Amino acid sequence: MKSLSDTDGTDHPQSGSPKISREDLRPKRPRRILRPLAPSTYLIRNAGKTIPLTAVIVLAVMLVSGIIAMIDSIPYSIRTVYRYAKEETGITPRGDPSLLPQLVATIKKQTPVPIERIIICRASSSLVRSIVGKWPFIMLGLTQSDMRYYVTRQGAHEIEGRYPNPGAPEAIISRPVAKNLRLGSVILKPDDIENYAPTPVKVVGIAETDRWFMINSVEFQRDNYFPPVDDALIFARNSTDQNKLDHWTVNKFKGQRPLVFAYFQIEKSTREMFATLYLILNVVISALAIVITFMMGMLMNIYQSQRLVEFGLLQAIGYTKNQLLKRVLLESVSVIALGWFLGLVLTYGLLNLASAVLMAPKAYSLDVFDAQAYAYTIPIPFAILVVATFTVVLRFRKFDPVGVVERRLV
Amino acid sequence: MITAQAASLAYLDQGRTVYACQEIDIEVKANEFLGILGPSGSGKSSLLYLLSGLKIPTSGDVMYNGSSLTRLGDEERSRLRIREFGFVFQQPYLLGYLTSLENVLVSKPNESRVDEALDLLERLGLDHKTHRHPHELSGGERQRVCVARALLGSPKVIFADEPTAALDHKNGLGVVRLLNNMRSGGSLVMVTHDPSMLDEADRIVRLADGRLDILN
Repeated sequence: MKSLSDTDGTDHPQSGSPKISREDLRPKRPRRILRPLAPSTYLIRNAGKTIPLTAVIVLAVMLVSGIIAMIDSIPYSIRTVYRYAKEETGITPRGDPSLLPQLVATIKKQTPVPIERIIICRASSSLVRSIVGKWPFIMLGLTQSDMRYYVTRQGAHEIEGRYPNPGAPEAIISRPVAKNLRLGSVILKPDDIENYAPTPVKVVGIAETDRWFMINSVEFQRDNYFPPVDDALIFARNSTDQNKLDHWTVNKFKGQRPLVFAYFQIEKSTREMFATLYLILNVVISALAIVITFMMGMLMNIYQSQRLVEFGLLQAIGYTKNQLLKRVLLESVSVIALGWFLGLVLTYGLLNLASAVLMAPKAYSLDVFDAQAYAYTIPIPFAILVVATFTVVLRFRKFDPVGVVERRLV
Repeated sequence: MITAQAASLAYLDQGRTVYACQEIDIEVKANEFLGILGPSGSGKSSLLYLLSGLKIPTSGDVMYNGSSLTRLGDEERSRLRIREFGFVFQQPYLLGYLTSLENVLVSKPNESRVDEALDLLERLGLDHKTHRHPHELSGGERQRVCVARALLGSPKVIFADEPTAALDHKNGLGVVRLLNNMRSGGSLVMVTHDPSMLDEADRIVRLADGRLDILN
C-alpha cells in the first residue's frame, strides 16, 4: 500500500540526513507564465489604462445604441399598436352600405389567394394612449362566433373573464390595451368625447396576447353608432397570403370609392413619418461618433506617449518596428472589440431595464433586440481603429530608440 | 567579428555639421572584453551605437562577420540585434508591468528559455526576486535584471553603455564583473567614463572629441 507521502510524486530520502540541493532552494517555476509581450499581458496588467479606454467605448456604444433604440421605440410602438392589421385586410364602402355586398363578391371571385374567412363588422373610433400621445384606434363590433375567431387569430388562446353578450355594453380587450385597466373598468362612456358610447361600456374580458384590439358586439355597435355602414375584414390562410391579399386589394380598388386598410400601408406611412427624424438622428450620431473617435484617439495617443521607454527599449534590443506596430494594434483591436462587445451586452441589459421600468407599465413598446440600434454602433470600433492605427503608425514612422535609451526623448 | 572602417557619425546642429564620431577604425574581436573610455560627450556612446547597428554611419562602414551593417535595412538590423547581441543601457530600463523573470524573457521572444532565465537570475543573486516587479527592486537589482536580459541566449556580443552610471561604485563594479564573468564566450563592449570599471578589460580604447585617441 502506498503511503500518503508516496503519492505526491516526489522522491524522499529513505534514511540518513536529507540532502538539500540548490535546485530545492530555487523558487518553483510558476505553472503558467504569460507571454511577456502578448497584448493580453499588457492589457490585464495595465488595467488602470485598459479600463478607461474600454469604458469610453462601452459608453459610446451604449449611448449610440440606446438613443437609436429609444427613438426606434416610437415607430415600433406605433407598429405594435396596429400589428393586429397584419392578420386582416379591412375594407369599407366609405358611407355607402349598398356597396359592401358587391365588394365582398368581387373579392371572393377575384382573390389571388385562398380566403379563410370574411367577417362583416361594424367599427367605431376611439383613442388609445401611445408613446407619442393619444392615437386613433377602433372598437370592432363582431358577432359571437366572429369574436372567437378574431381573438384566436390574434394569438390569444386564453381569456380572463368572458366574451361580451350580444347587444350588451360590454367589451373584450387584449392585454396591452388592458394596462391600468381590469375587469369591470369602463372604457367608453357618454361624457368622454374621445372614447364615446351612449352608455358606459365595461370590460368583461381580457385576451392574453401581445396584439392590441378592442371588441364589442356588432349588435351594440348597430344600435348605438352612426353611420349605419358595415365593413368587411378578409382573412387569408397565412401571413404570406395576407400580405399578397393586402397588395392586391389596395391595387384593385385604387381610385375607387372603397377604402382599404392594409398593414403595409401603416408600415409605409410610419417610415415616411419618421424619415426626417432619422435624417436628423444620423447627423447627431455621426457627430457623436466623430467626437468619440477623436477622444479615443487622444486617449490612445496619451497612453502611447507614456510607453515611449518601452517602445524605445524593445526597439533598441532588436524588436522591429513592424513587430511593435503589430503588438500595439493587436492591443487596440482587443480593447476596441472588448469595449464594443461589452457595450452591446450592457445596452441589451439597459434596454431590458428601460422596457420593464419605463415602457411596459405604460404599454409602450421597446425592441430590446433592435438590430438597427446595434448596427449603428458598428462604425464606432472601425473609426476608432482607423484613428488608433494612424496615431501609432505616425508615432513609429520616425521613432528613434536611441533617443530613448540616451534619455533624450523621455 | 565587428569592424568599423573609417566610420563617422555626423549630424546637423543649426546648419553646422557636428561629428559624434569621426573616421573610427576599430575591431571587436571574438571573446574579448573591449572597454571604450572617454569623458562625457566624447562620442563613446555613439561609437557603441554604430558598432551595434543601432545607428548607421554617415560615412565609412561597420561590418559584422564580414557583412556590412550599413547595407542592411532597419528590420534586418533589428533582427540581427535580437539574435546576436545583448544590451545593457545606462538606465536600468525594465517594463514596469512585467516581473523580473518576464523582463529577462523579453530579450529572446518566441523561444522557451524560462529555465535559462531562472538560472541567470539565480546566478545574479536574484532567485528570490524572480516574480517581483521593477518597482519592488533596488537600483542595483534592476540593473542586474538588465544584465540577465542581456545575457539570455548567450549572445555573441554584449554592448554595455555606461551600465554603472546609475549605481554606486561598489555595485557598479559588481555589475561589470558579473557581465564579464557570465558572458560565456561572447564579446563584451563596454562604454564608461570611469577607468576603474575597466580593470578586467582585455583592451581599452580611449575617445576624445569623437576621435580614437589611445589604444592599449
